[in-house]
Amino acid sequence: MDQLLNVLVIGLLLGGVYGLVSVGLNLIFGTVRIVNFAQGELVMFGMYGGYYAYNILGLSPYLSVFLVAPAVGLLGVLIQRLVIQPLHNESNMQIFATFGLLMMFQNIMLAVTRGEARSVGGDFGAQVIELGDIKVGTVRLLTFVITTAITIALHFWLTRTMVGKSVRAVTQDKRAARAMGINVEKTFLMTFGIGSALAGLAGVMLTPIYSITPGVGGNFILAAFAVVVLGGLGSVWGAYLGGLIVGVVEAFAGYYIDPALRHAIWFLIFLAVLIIRPAGLLGQVGAEEVGFREQN
Amino acid sequence: MNKTDLAGAPGARPPVVRPEDSGLQSAGTALWRYLGLMALAALPLLLLAKDPYWLNIIAFTYLMGGLASAWNIIGGFGGQFSLGHGVFFGIGAYVTAIATARYGLSPWLVMVPAALLASLVAMLISWPTFRLKGPFFAIATMAFNEVAFVLANHFDSFTGGPRGIMIPFKAGFANMIFRERWQYAVLMFVFVALVVGITVCLRRSRLGYYLLAVREDEDAARASGINVLSVKLQGMALSAFLTAIGGTLFTMYLRFIDPPSLFTLQDVGVKFALLSLIGGVGTIAGPLLGAALIVPFENFLRAELADALPGMNLAILGLLMVLAALFMKRGVVGAVEDLVRKIRSRRGGR
Amino acid sequence: MAQALLQTRGASKHFMGLKAVDDVSLAVHKGEVVSIIGPNGAGKTTYFNLLTGQLEPTLGEVSLRGQNINRLAPQQRARLGMGRTFQIVKPLIALSALENVMVGAFLQHRRMADARDRAMAVLQRVGLGAHAKRRAGDLTLSERRRLEVARALALGPEIVLLDEVMAGLNQSETGRCIDLLRSLHQEDGLTFLIIEHNLKVVRAFSERVIVLDRGRLIAEGSADEILSSPEVVKAYLGEGHQWTPS
Repeated sequence: MDQLLNVLVIGLLLGGVYGLVSVGLNLIFGTVRIVNFAQGELVMFGMYGGYYAYNILGLSPYLSVFLVAPAVGLLGVLIQRLVIQPLHNESNMQIFATFGLLMMFQNIMLAVTRGEARSVGGDFGAQVIELGDIKVGTVRLLTFVITTAITIALHFWLTRTMVGKSVRAVTQDKRAARAMGINVEKTFLMTFGIGSALAGLAGVMLTPIYSITPGVGGNFILAAFAVVVLGGLGSVWGAYLGGLIVGVVEAFAGYYIDPALRHAIWFLIFLAVLIIRPAGLLGQVGAEEVGFREQN
Repeated sequence: MNKTDLAGAPGARPPVVRPEDSGLQSAGTALWRYLGLMALAALPLLLLAKDPYWLNIIAFTYLMGGLASAWNIIGGFGGQFSLGHGVFFGIGAYVTAIATARYGLSPWLVMVPAALLASLVAMLISWPTFRLKGPFFAIATMAFNEVAFVLANHFDSFTGGPRGIMIPFKAGFANMIFRERWQYAVLMFVFVALVVGITVCLRRSRLGYYLLAVREDEDAARASGINVLSVKLQGMALSAFLTAIGGTLFTMYLRFIDPPSLFTLQDVGVKFALLSLIGGVGTIAGPLLGAALIVPFENFLRAELADALPGMNLAILGLLMVLAALFMKRGVVGAVEDLVRKIRSRRGGR
Repeated sequence: MAQALLQTRGASKHFMGLKAVDDVSLAVHKGEVVSIIGPNGAGKTTYFNLLTGQLEPTLGEVSLRGQNINRLAPQQRARLGMGRTFQIVKPLIALSALENVMVGAFLQHRRMADARDRAMAVLQRVGLGAHAKRRAGDLTLSERRRLEVARALALGPEIVLLDEVMAGLNQSETGRCIDLLRSLHQEDGLTFLIIEHNLKVVRAFSERVIVLDRGRLIAEGSADEILSSPEVVKAYLGEGHQWTPS
């Protein structure tokens, strides 16, 4: 019973990590329907940013995030303007182009770091809080809290503020949104920028607990898509829930079945959801078609 | 049931159309063009038959050309952007490696059954995924690829796991293991000639036209009596079959396979699509042309940059992908076709 | 009374409480030209989709030559002799006009050469013979509409369903299209069921007209009768439609 609880807690905390990594993708793919395969690389840049800020400037990740996240957000705006915008409505080409970006980013970092893994000092990541019999990593707990806070903030922003609502309007029907005076291009730029900044933020937050290699982004991207699809496209709480589910399932699968098969779990969840209920848990049925039809 | 005779007199056969009027290639023209293309493709092999370095590149170019052409059947003609063809490649590779290294069977014997298995798997995984819209289909195929990667690593008693399978060197035609590089190059040439030949025939067949119709507009296809799912499955089965054969050849050429060499998206699944895209998706010559442009170029990059800047060759390839997606959607062949059309319309008026 | 070629009995389609089509019964006999008219939102397109198989009826029956086809998919209905066009025309853009029609012709002609010959004949029949080589994406709207009719004809259908085939055409194009349809009806004996907004077309081409309003069939009769009926005028007037029976 103790073990069960332990695995559950690990799973939930892992879910917090997945949720944090996916929140940016949920905004970009789930809300404005842009397929960005380089999203994991944006997380990777965040991680390297946090690392270098710590090593060179001596800044704790919880401070450097205010530098790194906007920087990654800016990169996102550039990507949207130069690569995504010309390919609006061409999802397959978006996959292609962003996969190309993935290859570029991964391999440039590979060349720069010569493949050596980096990690931020162990003292940070090793801190533990004890809740009863269960040991909980401080950083992971903090990450979970941050993920929850961001989810709440994002949900509020999307549903209560004018700007956030305009983002959703643009997904539903670009022409109608334009007719209402919304600047569609600017909205996409802003959304992509925020989604990228969130990815960078996730990366910085994860610096203490993950070893940083150029390929680390690739570890997250399909899991992130799994989370977004599972939770329901465009549903912020859905992605949060999806992250938790993926985390818990992975923890249990790793413990009871086989650690090596853990990764296959996300994909199988992902495929099962796509095939059975593409709208995801909290998404509206038919949501997977919105934004992918012919639009002007 | 059909009583409408739209040529006029009842019972009259419609007049036979001259090829010049129809704009379609006659069978003869198609054949000549195919032979010409293959002759052109064979040229490097004939010219550089003595140079082992170039022979290796040429052999790989033919192999990748054949694999890209196989992808093109469902990705180009059918418009179904699968990025998980590595799965079929891997099935061909593993079945061949296991049969050869462990049971001493001839790869020639195993090639077709392995390819049939790949076709079967293709239809099984495509049947539920074909109804996914837009990017979801592509992402799902990538997910299948990743599952295959994990499974290949996991079931190591079967696949040798991360250590892979090595096939001992025992030269002989029956083993598909050759002493001379040029023999491999010829084998690969036969492969690409076969695949391209099949695409030429397909393009002129009912299935080929149905694939194109499905690509252009599924509703219009249904209104024309086409069973869209069935057509997609047939195209996928054929594509997977030929891809698996390429996997067999790859295995016997390198005599070593492991999960990364088969299932790394950047090098395999996505590469097939990339080569077709750069050459010209949906054209006959495009995939082979794409291979001819990219494979030697990538080799060159890897040789030059591998030491100084590891991975830069892939970074440059990535940049090429971005540029191709932005500026060269119809590939080199498409660009040439557009140019020809522009010249023709300026000359001939309408 | 000869069996109807295409018939619906009490066909209804409900969407979560909304009755888009409500108990519509219609029999189209071989060789007839029947038009469906009605104000926007009357359920014409939904009814059309019940006929073509894009939607399955909630209640009632759709039958072809007496056989219930409720559960048949669109491609199966096409194979049984139902040709159709789309309200927003759907050419196969990257293919030539000839190849577009070949896609239809392949249904009955398996070999490429036969399909090609048949497609050419159909193209000439609709007046697009000279455009055979042209890419469908380069054709004008009027040409694309005729191309879509050709693609449907290449199937060798017994009945052709047209969904606002005149939409977007100017006056002379409309006139030419009416002439083509008339000729297909009179010389080739095709049966037509058309949705049409353009009442001039309805008057020029239809033998029988049915009127849908809010999902229900509110009137049925000859073109002259319907177009001067006060009930029909009332149904349209809510839309601001005005016409003088001329």
